[in-house]
Amino acid sequence: MRSWWRVLGVLLGVSVLFVGAWAEKLIVIGPWSGAEADPFVAVLDAFKAKTGIDYEYRTMRAEDLSKVLPAQFSAGMAPGDVIFMWGWWIAKFADHMADLSAVVADVPFAYVDPLVVGGRTVGVPYVVFVKPGFWYRKSFFAEHGLQVPTSWPDFISLLKRIKAIPGIEDAAASGDGVGWPLSDTTEHFILAYGGVNTFLGLTEGTIAWESPEVRAVFADYLVPYLDYASEPIEWTSALDLWWEGKYGIYFMGNWITGMVDDPNDLGVFALPGAKAVTGGPDIFFVPKYSKRLEDAVKLASFLMSKEGQERRAAGGGKLVVRADVSPTAYPPAERALMKALEGFTLVSDMDDTIGGEWQATFWDQLKLLWVKPDALDDVLRVLDEKFPKG
Amino acid sequence: MRSSPRAEPKGTGEGKSRVGLPLLFWRPFRRRGRKEEWIAALGFLSIGLLLIVLFVIWPSIRTIWFSLFDSEGFAGVRNFARLFGDREIVDLGRFLRREPPWGALLHNFVWILVHLPVSVGLGLILAVVFSKIRSWWVGIARGAIYLGIVTPLIVGGVIIRFLFDKHAGMAPQILGALGAPTPWSAGWTAYPETALLALVIGSIWLWTGFSMVLHSAGLSTIDRELYEAAQIDGASELAQFRYITLPLLRPVTLVVAAMTFLWELKIFDIVYVATMGGPGGASNVLALEMYFSAFRELDPYRASAIATLITLFSLPVGYWFARRRLRR
Repeated sequence: MRSWWRVLGVLLGVSVLFVGAWAEKLIVIGPWSGAEADPFVAVLDAFKAKTGIDYEYRTMRAEDLSKVLPAQFSAGMAPGDVIFMWGWWIAKFADHMADLSAVVADVPFAYVDPLVVGGRTVGVPYVVFVKPGFWYRKSFFAEHGLQVPTSWPDFISLLKRIKAIPGIEDAAASGDGVGWPLSDTTEHFILAYGGVNTFLGLTEGTIAWESPEVRAVFADYLVPYLDYASEPIEWTSALDLWWEGKYGIYFMGNWITGMVDDPNDLGVFALPGAKAVTGGPDIFFVPKYSKRLEDAVKLASFLMSKEGQERRAAGGGKLVVRADVSPTAYPPAERALMKALEGFTLVSDMDDTIGGEWQATFWDQLKLLWVKPDALDDVLRVLDEKFPKG
Repeated sequence: MRSSPRAEPKGTGEGKSRVGLPLLFWRPFRRRGRKEEWIAALGFLSIGLLLIVLFVIWPSIRTIWFSLFDSEGFAGVRNFARLFGDREIVDLGRFLRREPPWGALLHNFVWILVHLPVSVGLGLILAVVFSKIRSWWVGIARGAIYLGIVTPLIVGGVIIRFLFDKHAGMAPQILGALGAPTPWSAGWTAYPETALLALVIGSIWLWTGFSMVLHSAGLSTIDRELYEAAQIDGASELAQFRYITLPLLRPVTLVVAAMTFLWELKIFDIVYVATMGGPGGASNVLALEMYFSAFRELDPYRASAIATLITLFSLPVGYWFARRRLRR
């Protein structure tokens, strides 16, 4: 009998320790995993070393969080203490967020501003991703005598030359996540050949997708480009295939620098004539239901501190939002990118700004356009029909 | 031999017309007539019933209630009328022209039309064939086919995506080698003409194991003497299948068909992972449309109307299934 009590006691002790250890951790939820998460986890480690506050990092895409969070908020709960999520979504559920005004009070933001709703800072941009244009391997271009294009005819000529290279499947790889890499490419075309005002007009809903100027961007530039672009391929597979030389160029965001074997072999160019590129922030919030609100705010402050931002900059793959972080804090690939972006205006990513069902529709319609360019008018009509009213 | 009045109480006979939901509760207790049994049964059932009421019945009622409202207040059946006028739900024009997308509802129906007979029939045939072969590989083959049903549907969706991928996929590679044109030799899930078909074929692989296992279990209950008698009478294999196996497996086949129908109607996971309903809505289904309405559009009313619609379509089959269980 006594031995039973011992077993029970040990089990109880282990359970208490386990639950205790579990409960002590600060839960941080972000969209990154694998190599993409490493630079962020390094910052979290630095926070832990400095404050002694233990953390647990969980990977959850915004898409998955959008299913979990509303129900949890209704129950006055949250699955984490610091959570990365879409900006438009945070704004919609602002009532459930803690006010982080104090966290950002002394932060000199460089590219984007914090998300303020009703005078409360509910979302804080942590890093910025940029979609600078088409990436290429310098070694590939050198091997085949290819040059970065300086005009639209040059660009088409480059695509033709790449397609003619033996072993090449298509000149450009088209990455597909749930459709977002295609939306990035499309937005780049709109910025380059429709201009910033058309781009902003589309984002705000003051210009229709079926309007002549927008249709012209699609019909005269994007659709001809699709003759040389692959069908949508899962974006990480597309990255590998492009790196192996099955494709010549690949449109992707700057996080690509952290995902290739040799970032120094990377080159990037924007479409000829482009004066602006799209980008967007990875935004976090602290739910007001966090059981460790004070620690969560401490982590938020560390993430936004100069030290925290410099540590993140050193990891590469993203640009940090503090203006006082020196370019020397970045790895060489990011320094080169920053140099390449000089003179460009950074515009907020369109589909992330609009969000909602329209974003999913945009992705899906572009997947259709990519394989059926003759469906252009249908695609533009659906984008107009689905645009959020009011 | 006559049944005693106690064993066959008046008014609770086995007649088909009188079989119904109340009998589930009444028959055993009226037969025994013991109040304590009632109390004991309710005690045992109470936790389960409470959970069902809390997590199934109450949310269902709330969902139906929500479907009658919109953001401006009570809407009656307006949400449903809107759904049937929405090209994302039904697009008969494109369906008749055979140009996808046809709308989520029609995609579900097409899914049922193709998947139901193929997966049920294939499961039946495999079960019969395997029952006739005595070899070491039969168990392995059965296990491999059954693997589909134990594979999480999310994983199934990923597998389908890669199975029909231009570079990694077996189907496009084989068809490409045979000289098939695009989209058959390209990524099936990337093209509107092939996306739904890819999902349906993938789901046949995922679901056939279920049909096969249930039919195998049904086969083991058929008396072997029936086959021996038929063989003595000179019946061919086909005749034995037609006149013995098929009729005696009918109850199992009907149950498999009903379960398959319900599964197809609420299909979500593999579509979400493999195509997200695309491209251009060409593989969208009702459950995914409900998800988009609820979590993307943040419109609980439209989402509830779609959920109610799915329930209405599954109700006749569910009712038939419940009646059948009660009759047994």
